[in-house]
Amino acid sequence: MLDRRETIVADLADLLPPGCLVSDVRGLVPFETDAFIAYRRVPLAVALPETTAQVAAVLKYCSRYGIPVVPRGAGTSLSGGAIPQEDAVVIGLSKMTRILDIDFPNRTATVEAGVTNISISEAVMPEGFFYAPDPSSQLACTIGGNIGMNSGGAHCLKYGVTTNNLLGVKMVLFDGTIIELGGKALDAAGYDLLGLVCGSEGQLGIVTEATVRLLARPEGARPVLFGFSSSEEAGACVAEVIGSGIIPVAIEFMDKPAIGICEAFAKAGYPMDVEALLIVEVEGSEAEMDATLASIIDIARRHGVTTIRESQSATEAALIWKGRKSAFGATGRIADYICMDGTVPLSKLSEVLRKTGEIAARYGLRVANVFHAGDGNMHPLILYNINDPEDAARAEAAGNDILKLCVDAGGCLTGEHGVGIEKRDLMLHQFTQADLNQQMAARAAFDPQWIMNPSKVFPLEGRPTA
Amino acid sequence: MNIDFEPQTEDDAAAIVRAAAQRSARLRIQGGGTRGICAAIEADAVLSTRKLSGIVSYNPAEMTMSALAGTPASEIEVKLAEHRQMLAFEPMDPRGLSGATGEPTIGGVFATNSSGPRRLSAGAARDHLLGLRFVNGEGIVIKSGGRVMKNVTGLDLVKLLAGAHGTLGLMTEVTFKVLPLPPASATIVLSSLNDAEAAGAMARVMSMPSEVSSAAHLPESVRGRFISGRLPDGPATIFRLEGLPATVSARAEKLTSACAVAGPVTVLEDQDSRALWREVRDVKPYADGTERALWCVSVAPTVGHQLVAALRLETGVDAFYDWQGGRVWLRMEADPEADLVRRFIKALGGGHARLMRASSAVRAVTPAFEPETPAVSVLSARLREKFDPKGIFNPGLMG
Amino acid sequence: MQTSFAPAQLADPQIATSEQILRKCVHCGFCTATCPTYVTLGNELDSPRGRIYLIKDMLENDRPADEEVVTHIDRCLSCLSCMTTCPSGVNYMHLVDHARVHIEKTYERPLGDRLVRAVLAAVLPYPGRFRLALKAAGLGRPFAGLLKRIGPLKPFGTMLDLAPSKVAPASIADTPGTHRVDGLKRGRVAILSGCAQPVLRPEINEATLRLLARLGVEVVVPENAGCCGALVHHMGREEQALEAARRMVDAWLKVKVDGGLDAVIITASGCGTTIKDYGHMLRLDPDYAEKAAEVSALARDITEYLSGLELPVLEKRALTVAYHSACSMQHGQKITMAPKVLLSNAGFTVRDPGEGHLCCGSAGTYNILQPEISTTLKARKIRNIEATKADIIATGNIGCITQIATGTAMPILHTVELLDWAYGGPKPALLETRD
Repeated sequence: MLDRRETIVADLADLLPPGCLVSDVRGLVPFETDAFIAYRRVPLAVALPETTAQVAAVLKYCSRYGIPVVPRGAGTSLSGGAIPQEDAVVIGLSKMTRILDIDFPNRTATVEAGVTNISISEAVMPEGFFYAPDPSSQLACTIGGNIGMNSGGAHCLKYGVTTNNLLGVKMVLFDGTIIELGGKALDAAGYDLLGLVCGSEGQLGIVTEATVRLLARPEGARPVLFGFSSSEEAGACVAEVIGSGIIPVAIEFMDKPAIGICEAFAKAGYPMDVEALLIVEVEGSEAEMDATLASIIDIARRHGVTTIRESQSATEAALIWKGRKSAFGATGRIADYICMDGTVPLSKLSEVLRKTGEIAARYGLRVANVFHAGDGNMHPLILYNINDPEDAARAEAAGNDILKLCVDAGGCLTGEHGVGIEKRDLMLHQFTQADLNQQMAARAAFDPQWIMNPSKVFPLEGRPTA
Repeated sequence: MNIDFEPQTEDDAAAIVRAAAQRSARLRIQGGGTRGICAAIEADAVLSTRKLSGIVSYNPAEMTMSALAGTPASEIEVKLAEHRQMLAFEPMDPRGLSGATGEPTIGGVFATNSSGPRRLSAGAARDHLLGLRFVNGEGIVIKSGGRVMKNVTGLDLVKLLAGAHGTLGLMTEVTFKVLPLPPASATIVLSSLNDAEAAGAMARVMSMPSEVSSAAHLPESVRGRFISGRLPDGPATIFRLEGLPATVSARAEKLTSACAVAGPVTVLEDQDSRALWREVRDVKPYADGTERALWCVSVAPTVGHQLVAALRLETGVDAFYDWQGGRVWLRMEADPEADLVRRFIKALGGGHARLMRASSAVRAVTPAFEPETPAVSVLSARLREKFDPKGIFNPGLMG
Repeated sequence: MQTSFAPAQLADPQIATSEQILRKCVHCGFCTATCPTYVTLGNELDSPRGRIYLIKDMLENDRPADEEVVTHIDRCLSCLSCMTTCPSGVNYMHLVDHARVHIEKTYERPLGDRLVRAVLAAVLPYPGRFRLALKAAGLGRPFAGLLKRIGPLKPFGTMLDLAPSKVAPASIADTPGTHRVDGLKRGRVAILSGCAQPVLRPEINEATLRLLARLGVEVVVPENAGCCGALVHHMGREEQALEAARRMVDAWLKVKVDGGLDAVIITASGCGTTIKDYGHMLRLDPDYAEKAAEVSALARDITEYLSGLELPVLEKRALTVAYHSACSMQHGQKITMAPKVLLSNAGFTVRDPGEGHLCCGSAGTYNILQPEISTTLKARKIRNIEATKADIIATGNIGCITQIATGTAMPILHTVELLDWAYGGPKPALLETRD
């Protein structure tokens, strides 16, 4: 493939408008990774198409010559979903950023895949609507990437993740065929291909347009901070809130190191004298929020809450969320990190938190915990020094142990970040080879050539031989 | 229908399928056989999951339950109700429409992605299915998903199997999310709107922050057949509010005054409200013991009424609307008019119509599912081939 | 993120600083979303994260700059929106400044580009030359279209477009001297008279002198002042920039010696960002490091300084102001609320245009050197400003004023002009024709 680089680049240039192909050796380097910086590969070329037709033309070309393709949105994947390989053409959707249709009566928005998550909510906010899934990287991450990873976010506790809010896509298959799935009508006519595509990590095709569900904004929303003197108490409080039948919009957890990191950036007024912090958001009318909050406060008191602080203004609420949503990036202030994403049953939350700490200690590493507690989706941030190869190896080993711990506790490897490269080789801890074979068979129905983001998700061993 | 196989364990089921695959014997897969599936399935034998029954695990505090596929849906709902929980997507009881007498199973609920009025706000059956175990067409047991709320590990075969009507695999165990049963329910009834006005009103109400969980429109022709005729005179546009009693009444008050400009408003309190939506869920007006063709149509909410209006100019139809107008229960007076219905749906921006009931003569010649576009149908066929290479599951039904 | 510099490389203090900056970046990509060039061009290479990567690769390999790197660094507006967004605290400003110096030292630009940059560096920082050039521009304006058709001369065409049709004579605010106050003296400050601003809009510093005088603040226009060095600094002309910085440090500290100094007042936020960075720029100069840090610590935007004077709250007046926050103000100096609070207290109704974080495309000499991107950003900015349906625009930077004025009929003024008017000064001439 690499010997044919010159030809491939020249051919791609013919398929794309000026300024839409990166082939310069220097220019390719910045595409070698995404937000999972532990792994890097410089691609063969980067195509930045402006239309679905151009995406189709590039895919048709790549399929004809068997060239691997790696789709990329904003490159914010924490699992390496957008990391290329040396013989691959990256197809970046960053130039496809138009909002195509906003239909308030039907509560849908149709956008190009490169539109950022937050842009959708911003576009419909004046009319009193929002798009619910809110990954912490929502400022930058694209809707195409969200579909690729079936992204979640803090508010998914109430509103569901991407797959629950996605109504339709236009996508290009490996050979350049353009198809449409779903639309403004609910549910599938036949097989739920949309459900299969969502979260398929760019292995079934490249989504170029998406139709998503909009929701009416609640009358009000109020994040409240609950401080505890131990992580165990906070974890138990979460389990009891959910168990009692109260489902707040969001329950976020931060331990002491995470609180310090987030406060340093956002200055949100998080209490610094607690061991663990919950951000619980309630919404509705003032009376509804008061009522829900009263029940939550009762439960929190039973679990020894030491601080309760309600946000007093929209600005304060925004800062509380800004701090939480910037947690991973803000960690860069103190160390390099890898971010785990296992989900565990709520009853195991406290236990897994404790064991996570033990694992990190065993490897001599620090860990900060900041995550979506309400649905058990944990994000231990393992802090290390990427410039020290031994430290990096320890961090990776600790990460693997933590993820296995999550699976063994009845959970899964990844709740919202995707398998990507990061967790590829752990898949057999969660699935049998037969399970994976069936998934790979489904994949092959879409991409018989196995050229779409081929190095991801499935362990390299045990793949079907072509 | 005679049942040939009733496996009692997953291993049994896998062995039966393996044997069938070896002989290329085609199996009709069913749970309780209550859904009156409207397609010409050509099978050599019938396999029912109803003996694969029982709740495997239920953890109310985690809001998840696992059950074997043949567990009666009613058993599950009773168990959940004991802990004041529910299946939020409100699967219908299909027996009213089909006239069948068996027990609908939880496997059937998910295999048909059966969702009721609360689908509008809470999502469909597929949105609540967290994990499953199934036997593929080669008799191999496959697991997908898990038992946690958020899980993106690997391809989401769970979604694919939900609604696949058993054509991609024989579900043996399902794990699903459950939600707290709302302590209070109230329904705002706005009388006097015609179908088009109702579509507008529903769109407006759904854009308000009142957290309406369901919105439906029951035209005059069907109104009297709900809750024993206790709905007020005139077509009824209905909105359901659920939650804590205090918040429900506060929202009901707001919504009532917002709706009052459009026409007379009444509020149905708890019991009537719950009964009404159960009947909407089970398509009460058309559960009339006949075999008249019934379509379940899904289109964009604002065009449902346009579809009905267009059809009325061509043929005899009766209809009512759920899901803000986007789900149309369409009962044909005589001919099913499949081509007409599907042509109009396409002209109105797309969607799909599924034949839910018809005489056997009609079933034999009418595709129950909306035909897919050529490129998509190629994908469906390939998928089917990957899960069931010999084509032994419910041949003729899908894919 | 990971870096690989040899110990010998890290011995260079510039490299060591940049390495520490790079180490903080975790490649999260948040910065891409608020970067005007990424939003416009949709290419990672035109985003902060992409540029950081290009710079890292160049510095690590100790390689001269090449065309690809230069293209994308040149497209950076230095608006520093990325620094507001970055949760990791990456000091992109110092990194890109380092890269620009590296480019200037190791890369030979094409002749046309060199010519344009040389002219800009030789004219803009010098009010006398700039005034002459603008007068000449009046004569040259008919040729703007022609120049723009000749590739390398295109920037000259753009310059002609941007040049005002009237050139003001030298103003009292430029003349060195002390503006004493009658009555109680509340403070003594020095002012940056600047280079391009007094030529383009002398009214700004005149309003500042009047307002401060009424408020009892003595203002010194120092001897031997001039350009603060920001313009050449952004072009990577390190020596010229440091020379300007040293000159300004001397000029202001002399004021201090002469009679005390509470603050150095700056009325152009672009200059303010650089002056507040003198401490860093001159940190390796043993003679100036400390003095420069002192000046940086004394530097105040006029609105920052006025915020400390507790101006009275005035009655509302029927004038709505769209406040355009210059990038150097909001991102460079993190001054976001002060100007709006001052305007609001002075009786104006203040509105925030949408996408306020995005640059208007002015960015020093950017509108001349990168006219296409600049024009796109200007149009977007004006769309957002006009959508506020405000009567007038207020901002705190001369570059933005010049840029925006060429694209809208709405009058655009410096915040201090409106404040001077509200607190007893004359009505700004731009508003004379209005009610």
